[in-house]
Amino acid sequence: MLPAISAFLGRLRSLFRGRRMESEMSEEIAFHRERLREKYLQEGMSEKAAERAARVRLGNAQRWQERLRELWSFRILEELTRDIRFSLRLLWKSPGFTAVGLATLALGVSANTAVFSLINSLLLRPLAVPQAQQMVVLSTQEGAPQPGYSFCTPFFRGLEGKGDVFQNVFAFVNDTLQVRGESGNVNVHGVMVSGQYFPAMQVKPVMGRYLTPADDQEGGGSSGFAVVISEDFWKTWFNGVPDVVGRSLMIANASFTVVGVIPKSFTGADPTHHPQIYAPLSADPIIDAPRDHLHGGTHAWWLTVMARLQPGVDLQKANAALQAVSTGVLHTSTGEADWIKDEEQHHFHFAAEPGSNGFAYVRSVFRKPLLMMFGMCGGLLLLACLNLASLLLARGAVRERELATRRALGATRLRLIRQLMIESLFLATLGTGLGMALTPIVGHALAAMLSGGSGPDSMSLDISPDWRLYGFAAAVAFIAAVLIGLMPAWRATEGDLNEQIKNGQHAQQQRRQTRLIPRLLMISQVALALILVSGAALLATSLVRLYRSGLGFDPHGVVNISFSMDKQQLDGEPLMEVYRQIWDGLKTAPGVKDVSFQFVVPLSHRGWNGHYAAPGGERHLLWLNSVGPDYFNTMRIPLDQGRGFTWSDTKSSGLKIILNRSAAKLFFPQGGAIGRQIVDRDKVAYEVVAVVGDAKYRDVRGPAAPAGYVPMQQDSQKKPSLSAVVRVDGPWQPLVQFSRELTARLVPSIPAPVIRPMDEVVDTSINTERMMALLGVFFAGCSLLVTAIGLYGTLSYATARRTNEIGIRIALGAQRRRVMAMIFRENAVVATIGCGAGLAVAVSLSTVLTSFLYETSTRDPWIFAGATFTLVCVASAASLLPAVRASWIDPMQAIRSE
Amino acid sequence: MIREENTDSGSLLQGTLEMLVLKALARGPQHGYAVAEWIHHVSHQLLKVEEGALYPALHRLEMRGFLNAEWGASENNRRAKFYRLTAEGTKRLDAESQRWARLSAAVAFVMQSS
Repeated sequence: MLPAISAFLGRLRSLFRGRRMESEMSEEIAFHRERLREKYLQEGMSEKAAERAARVRLGNAQRWQERLRELWSFRILEELTRDIRFSLRLLWKSPGFTAVGLATLALGVSANTAVFSLINSLLLRPLAVPQAQQMVVLSTQEGAPQPGYSFCTPFFRGLEGKGDVFQNVFAFVNDTLQVRGESGNVNVHGVMVSGQYFPAMQVKPVMGRYLTPADDQEGGGSSGFAVVISEDFWKTWFNGVPDVVGRSLMIANASFTVVGVIPKSFTGADPTHHPQIYAPLSADPIIDAPRDHLHGGTHAWWLTVMARLQPGVDLQKANAALQAVSTGVLHTSTGEADWIKDEEQHHFHFAAEPGSNGFAYVRSVFRKPLLMMFGMCGGLLLLACLNLASLLLARGAVRERELATRRALGATRLRLIRQLMIESLFLATLGTGLGMALTPIVGHALAAMLSGGSGPDSMSLDISPDWRLYGFAAAVAFIAAVLIGLMPAWRATEGDLNEQIKNGQHAQQQRRQTRLIPRLLMISQVALALILVSGAALLATSLVRLYRSGLGFDPHGVVNISFSMDKQQLDGEPLMEVYRQIWDGLKTAPGVKDVSFQFVVPLSHRGWNGHYAAPGGERHLLWLNSVGPDYFNTMRIPLDQGRGFTWSDTKSSGLKIILNRSAAKLFFPQGGAIGRQIVDRDKVAYEVVAVVGDAKYRDVRGPAAPAGYVPMQQDSQKKPSLSAVVRVDGPWQPLVQFSRELTARLVPSIPAPVIRPMDEVVDTSINTERMMALLGVFFAGCSLLVTAIGLYGTLSYATARRTNEIGIRIALGAQRRRVMAMIFRENAVVATIGCGAGLAVAVSLSTVLTSFLYETSTRDPWIFAGATFTLVCVASAASLLPAVRASWIDPMQAIRSE
Repeated sequence: MIREENTDSGSLLQGTLEMLVLKALARGPQHGYAVAEWIHHVSHQLLKVEEGALYPALHRLEMRGFLNAEWGASENNRRAKFYRLTAEGTKRLDAESQRWARLSAAVAFVMQSS
């Protein structure tokens, strides 16, 4: 063994048996001393003299141990443990400082890691499949700046067989499946996948097999339709029975055979959905009955298409290959000739982009808000670090004499910096640890906010920590430690030793120069706080304006109860009769005031539109909804003229339509819409029976679109699934049970109806704005608090150092008010410069918020003035306290204390 | 490191003590006191090894794997730490004594030249 290695191992061993080694060393020396004593005795010394001589010769036992231990120990490690112990003692001795430091850091860190965990799961984490980097997302380009990610069946089938650059081309579509359980049908979250989906994913099933191209054929495979289920679904629905493969599931009233179970680790190609059932694409006409997207040709854009590249093929090659086949696929898509020509003029072609983390529609929606939030969190964390740095700096100034003494006694500057850095590293690590502990809570709250509650479009994000998150947290802790510690440590250990020891507490020398850096720190803190506060003010103002903008209807106390009628047997008049019975039933429910029906729930981002024209007039786009009797009263939409619909507006009574004000103005600018007709593309005429107030249809932002309402009985749709709108007095929760029982009695075959309060729908529709504003205000509050603590803390420390000086001033006759003003001025200067700098940055940065703001200018002077005013108030309050305290210093005591 | 009783013999080169210790232990396992006594005796009382140098040297050699240490009974039946040369230690002693022989011969040549 090499001597160096042997020495290293020896030292390592000594770490774990320190106590024993010490006793062995002293025993060894004691033995030596004993032998010496014996020798001296033999040489004729007296007992006493021999004892003394031996002792003198060997010296202090303590020193021996020290010397030998030094030999055996890692010096750095020893010193380190000593430093850590010392730092801990110091932190323990100032619990207030430590608590504030930890709390602010934990806050900043938990916000950062929580947002990062969302970003990680939504934007960064790759799919849980082998060689995820081979995955690409396909899109259609037709001259628009944004590529299209929706495919129709002919396009997908045209690309499916192109095997020269892709190993597999596959399609999928998220869907809700009606699965028959013990007590009627239940909605289960699932996905329909093409035959190449699983071969591309290359996941091994837990049992059975996955779906193959043979399953994705008209009518299913050789033994009918097959499905693969998730491990969770196997455990919950089938209670984890071992013979689940081969069992059948009734989906949408048809029999499907379970052929395999997919492991939990695989969550599909869309990271925001966790499907329970994977069904073949070819089963769409059954699963989505009465609709049929599969045979919808170029009218049904329902698929997301992805592909796995052949090994060695890069994106460029794939794009070139896609470009080459585009025209061919377009021409065989059986679209109308006009449309094909139009597409060709727009240089239609397919394209591929990296898809290692799958495809999620919500990504495009949430990327910007998430990054914005990340920025805000970063700002908050930076603020927390700056705050701690300035507090440490102020404290370091108080410890000046201690550090100078230690240096005078021989401690190197590096050693002192290391000790101070350990202190800040300790704060940073503890703060990060605390923050990490809070992360899951904050993360889940944010994810819940982001995914929009229990709505039908809600997504599930997997925010469980992985190496990326831990790496991020470690980086945050490290950067925080450096930010917090380095500067104060550097500052505290520099300067002239003699001066510092001489001057001690009342260090007056070079005040200007030594106070520049702490001031800069505080100024940037104030500036940062102002940026956060004004950003929050902009977002909050916009949100308030959004809520005040007026929806055109009154959502408070209204609930939507959606019924899935598409899979039951009735249609036409008999189905309308069922709806009427539901209507009658709901009216008897406790607290219910008004009941009606609607097809499209406003602001749910669903839509239905068509082109209509007044006779001889121009054609206009009209947003449509089919509604029941008493609808406008229930929604509190004012009826300007004419009458609402009744149960007698049936198919045979002539087609009727009700227009909103904007639509009426559009079609009949001269007024007098009642009794007139408008016609659709197929020249079918509708008689206008009423004009009602404008109500927001799809989006709260922007004015209400021209809209028309048709009676639900005259809707040409097959088996329409309508929502009851119910206005209730008092709590709506009892309606859940009531409507469930009602449905079970009237139409037992449909799944339990889904209830959503209208308020929640409205909130969800402006989710992003709400979340940003709420977080913004929260962060702004935190930053104000942190800044106040910083201003208060640094000023307190600074005044504490000047107790003596202030005492003398007062003793010499300085007025207490003057003293107060003098102390207060220190922070006033800092706050003023900070506000100025912050304002400048905030105004220039605010443009990034433009897309989140509604009817709010990013340059609104009132908002910025308000933000500045708030900050100035907080800063003044924080600075006043130390100033007042300074003015009450007792001169006698202050001078005597030195 | 080593204090000579005759101060006019000049200071010995560094590493010499370690070589002497290894040499002392070549005769068999010994405790620290015996090593010091042996060197003192064999050098005709010219070399006196200070404890302050001896024990760090012993520990350093042990740590680097040239010596093994174990506790045993001394001649007067007391517990003492005995050091024993390892195979590495023997090799080291050979190399050191060769180096020393060359060095002292060279020094002798220089000093005896006229």
